[in-house]
Amino acid sequence: MLQYTIRRLIGMIPIIFLISVVVFTLAKLMPGDALSGKIDPLNSDPEYIEEMREKMGLNDPIPMQYVRWMSGVVQGDFGDSFVHKRPVMELIGDRLPNTIILGISALLITYLLAFLMGRYSGRFAYSIGDYLISAFNYLALAIPSFVAALVAIYVFAINLGWVPATGSIGSGVEAGTLEYYLSKAKHTVLPALVLGAMATAAYTQFLRNDMIESSRKDYVRTARAKGTKESAIYNKHILRNSIIPIVTLLGFDIANLFGGAIITETIFTYPGIGYLFVESVNSRDYSVMMAIAMMLTILTLIGNLIADLLYGLVDPRIRLS
Amino acid sequence: MEPSISQQTSPGLAEPVKPPKSQSPWALARRKFLRNKAAMISLVFLLLVCVMSILAEPLTMPVEETAKINLTQMSKEPSADHYFGTDKSGRDVFARTLHGGKTSLLLAFSITISVITLGTLVGATAGYFGGWVDNALMRFTDFMMNFPFLLFVIVLKSIFIESSTGTLIFVISVLSWTGTARLVRSKVMAEKENEYIMSAVSIGCSAPKTIFKHLLPNVMSTIIVQATITLAAMIVAETGLSFLGFGVPINIPTWGNMLQEARSPDVLTSKWWIWIPPAAILTFTILSINFIGEGLKDAFNPKSNR
Repeated sequence: MLQYTIRRLIGMIPIIFLISVVVFTLAKLMPGDALSGKIDPLNSDPEYIEEMREKMGLNDPIPMQYVRWMSGVVQGDFGDSFVHKRPVMELIGDRLPNTIILGISALLITYLLAFLMGRYSGRFAYSIGDYLISAFNYLALAIPSFVAALVAIYVFAINLGWVPATGSIGSGVEAGTLEYYLSKAKHTVLPALVLGAMATAAYTQFLRNDMIESSRKDYVRTARAKGTKESAIYNKHILRNSIIPIVTLLGFDIANLFGGAIITETIFTYPGIGYLFVESVNSRDYSVMMAIAMMLTILTLIGNLIADLLYGLVDPRIRLS
Repeated sequence: MEPSISQQTSPGLAEPVKPPKSQSPWALARRKFLRNKAAMISLVFLLLVCVMSILAEPLTMPVEETAKINLTQMSKEPSADHYFGTDKSGRDVFARTLHGGKTSLLLAFSITISVITLGTLVGATAGYFGGWVDNALMRFTDFMMNFPFLLFVIVLKSIFIESSTGTLIFVISVLSWTGTARLVRSKVMAEKENEYIMSAVSIGCSAPKTIFKHLLPNVMSTIIVQATITLAAMIVAETGLSFLGFGVPINIPTWGNMLQEARSPDVLTSKWWIWIPPAAILTFTILSINFIGEGLKDAFNPKSNR
């Protein structure tokens, strides 16, 4: 297992290298250049502009610029943000906790809802409740996340006024106080609910079908023959076996959550990585954009690795080699 | 021996009784699909939406009219003049919803066709030839799969900043063919082990002919189901991107562009008629495509007996 993980991690290095070339090329292809954000906008003297270009190395051949950027990246330095006038890593460090909080809350909501709904549907298959749950699943699959977000804001933030519609923290709240954490939770709950509840369908269906399949197996018949209570059969015997395969979906979710955060965070103007990315593309803040693109792509790679590792962990028949 | 016996037992019949003609898999699937209520209702709904969108101009007004800003008709509630009211610039929401549907659906269908074609070509080539061709194509597919879809569409889209809808089709297609390629490859690999493929090759069929005439028709059911899934996903992708401002240019009405108006708190709070119609039609369209896909999957599956 350890050997396999190490081999996979080493195998990622050339892929990450190729991805970095793609990301850098795309950034270079984008209109305008990094210069526009960095020089004095009032001074349009061509000599001055030329001098600044030279100073920042924008006149160097592209491969040279790539090497300079990449050597920084390897040391964890993605350069400075032109818009925010700060190191990119600092900026991302500021925003990342918000996205992580959002992602974890969304995951918890997904798992909790899917567990409850899947358990019910699996145990009482083809009942009215089961049909209602599958109707919800169909709807959740069909509603695009941004429509769900709009409806959620309309209902919960505007009409009911339970939670604020935008931002991640109330104004004038001091960090570290109880009020701060409450405000944070209040701001996070709606985007997390939208992100989480919309993703339950796959899990619920998975758990339901697995439970129905398990309920026909011999060990269940044995338990029943021995007079075990029906609730104990479901909660102890079947559920324990059915819950395990779900874990494997986690790996794919990690990357999906960050990707999905782009839309959700933008709608809720929630200051996380996804919103930062949209902002940076709009304001041509290349260094930030490149850093986020690299980060999320690497995260996808790691997510896939985690998914593969979890498969092996859960199902001993799969040999990782 | 047996034919003579049967002739003796039925001397009255002039011609031998023909065995009932067995139905082709396609006919079986069609019958099963026609009996699926949810899928049929969805199909009717989807056709209705498509026809209304195609007839947007005769039903309402030309596209140029929908873009005209009319200051005397700003934010009017639904009425007999404007079935869905007007938006903040005084444009008729009903007309824009129909025209928006035309753009959104046309885009989604075009992207789906190009994604499925690209994915099928790559998948079938890799699966049929195997060996180093397979290896090279699949490594490339895996590599393309690493790029988070939304993120790179946004990046690519901002490179082609003054672009038409054509570039959007291209950009999305480039990033979404991988799933189809993998699926088709696995199906083709399983299918080519059958004897009929060997016979086709042994009588001298060329590789393209074997693939297109013999292999692909037999994996077509999988491809069709995959196409419906892709279609639904592409409607979401296009509207989502337009909503964020990275999709179709804002002056062209699409469902995503219409929903973008709901990003202003004023519209979201008190002018529900501007954003509810596109949101509702968008959701029901995707729902109906999902049901159709499910129905097709069921119809093509010989094991299901619903």
